[in-house]
Amino acid sequence: MRSFARGPGWIAFAVFSTLAAVSVWAALTGRLGGNTDAAPPVDRRSAVAEAALPDPVPPAFVPPKPEALSGLDHVSFWSPVRRSIPVRVRANQNAAVIARLSTRTPEGTRNLVLILDRRRDARGTLWVRARFPSERNDAVGWVPRAALGGYGVVSTHLVVDVAKLTATLYRNGKRIFEAQVGVGMSENPTPTGEFYIRNKLTKYANAFYGPVAFGTSARSPTLTDWPAGGFVGIHGTNRPDLLPGRISHGCIRLRNTDILVLERLMPVGTPLTIV
Amino acid sequence: MVDFHNRLTLAQLDADGALEEALVAATGSTRTQFLRSAALGSAALLTGLSDSATASPGPRQDTAILNYALAFEYLQAGFYTEAESLGTIRAMDAERERWARTLGAHERAHVRILKDVLGRRAAARPFFDYRGITEDPTTFTRTAVAMEDLTVALLGGQAPRVANQGLRSAFFSLLTVEARHATWARRIVGVAPVAEAFDSPKTIAQVDRVIRSTRFRVSRPKSEGRGSPRFTG
Repeated sequence: MRSFARGPGWIAFAVFSTLAAVSVWAALTGRLGGNTDAAPPVDRRSAVAEAALPDPVPPAFVPPKPEALSGLDHVSFWSPVRRSIPVRVRANQNAAVIARLSTRTPEGTRNLVLILDRRRDARGTLWVRARFPSERNDAVGWVPRAALGGYGVVSTHLVVDVAKLTATLYRNGKRIFEAQVGVGMSENPTPTGEFYIRNKLTKYANAFYGPVAFGTSARSPTLTDWPAGGFVGIHGTNRPDLLPGRISHGCIRLRNTDILVLERLMPVGTPLTIV
Repeated sequence: MVDFHNRLTLAQLDADGALEEALVAATGSTRTQFLRSAALGSAALLTGLSDSATASPGPRQDTAILNYALAFEYLQAGFYTEAESLGTIRAMDAERERWARTLGAHERAHVRILKDVLGRRAAARPFFDYRGITEDPTTFTRTAVAMEDLTVALLGGQAPRVANQGLRSAFFSLLTVEARHATWARRIVGVAPVAEAFDSPKTIAQVDRVIRSTRFRVSRPKSEGRGSPRFTG
C-alpha cells in the first residue's frame, strides 16, 4: 500500500494547512499584510447596541472629600455610670477601694465620670481610670469598663481663675467665651483643681441661681454638710451687681446673659480647671 | 429569587462568625444566649420603612431609606472615630492603621452628605456604647468586617427601592464603595475577601435585628434636668 505521507499529495496538504492557519491567525489578530499597528476590525453590531443604551444616571449627591480627624489633642471623653461601683486605687479587683460611685446625681440626672486612661488587668478585664466627684482635689481612681456606658466626646474646656475672677471657655484649644464671675468668699472658698461639668439644670423656679445652672464634680471643702453634698455649681444670679467678686458659698456665679451664652457653648462632660 | 421575608439567623448573616465572636466577647453572653437574642427580632430603628412588597415607592419612602442609611452611617462613623480618638487605631500596625483611618474618613463623609441631603429631616445622631470593642485592636477589626458586610447587605437591599433615579444612582455608588470597604476589612483580618459568588441583600428587619443584638445603640444619658439646684450657691 502506498503511503500518503511520502508522496506529492502530502506536500500539497502541508502547504495548504500552513497557509490556512496563518490566514486565520492574521484575521484574528489584525496582522494581515505585516502591519502590526492596524486597528482591529470594528464590530458594527456592538456599536449599534451601545448607541441604544442610555448614559449612567448622574448621582443626586456626591460625598465631600474624606477628611482625617483633627483636634484630637483637645478631645475629652466622659461616660455615664451604669451601675453603682467601687472606685479602686489600681486596675485590679483586689485593690483598695477609695470611693463608691452612684448612678445618679443629687439632682436626679445620670452620674458621669471623666475618662482619663484605660488598661487591661492580668485577667483581660478592661479598666478605666476616671475622675469622679469628690471633695478631694483631682480625685481619680479605677473602675471596670463594664460598669460604665458609652463614651461622650467633648472638645471644650472651661478654666475658672479665682484670682482674676474670670471664666474662659476653650473649644479645640481656642478661646470662644470669657466672662467675669463671682467665686467663694474667703471662709467658703471655691476649691481649685481639676474637675468636670456633671449636669445642666434649666427651667427651675429659683431666681437665686438664674436661668441655668451647671453642676460640677467639685465639692466645697468647708460646706461638707450642705444638703446634697455641697457640690459647686456654675450658675446665673439675681444679684449681678455683686459681680465680679468673692461673694458666693463656693459656687461660680455669672451674669444671666453670660450663663445663657455658656449654655449654648458648653456641653455636659466638659473638663473644668479651677486655678 | 431572594425571599425578603425569610427570617435569617445571625449565623447566616454573619458567615464568618466575626460579628458573633466579637460581640460575645464584648457582651459576655454565651454563644447560645447571643444567638437567641439575635434571632428574637425587633421593630425597625426608624418608622416609615417597611419590608412589605406593597410599600409605596416615592419621596416619603426615599426619605425613610436615606434616614435609615444615615442611622447606619452614624453607627459606622462613630465606631471608627471612637477607635481613632481613643488611640486604638494608632496602636495598630501601619497597614491596619491606614485602613482604619481611611474607612473612618469615608464613613464621616457619608454622614455629612446624608445629613446635608436630608436637611432638617435628618435624624439626630444616636448615642452609642461600643462596649469596649473600640478599645481593643482585635475586636475592633473583626467587628469592622461584620459591620462592613452588613452595610453592603443593607444598601444592596435598599438601593433598588429608592424611587428617585438620582438618589438611586448615588446609593449604588455608596454600595460599591462599602463593598470595597468590606473586602479591604476582610483582607486585613485574613478571611476570604469575597465570601460568596453572589451577595444577597438583607431586609431592614434583618439588618435591624443584628444592630439591636449588638446593643451598640443606647439611650442618651439623662444629663439635663429641671430640678431645683442644690449647689452651695
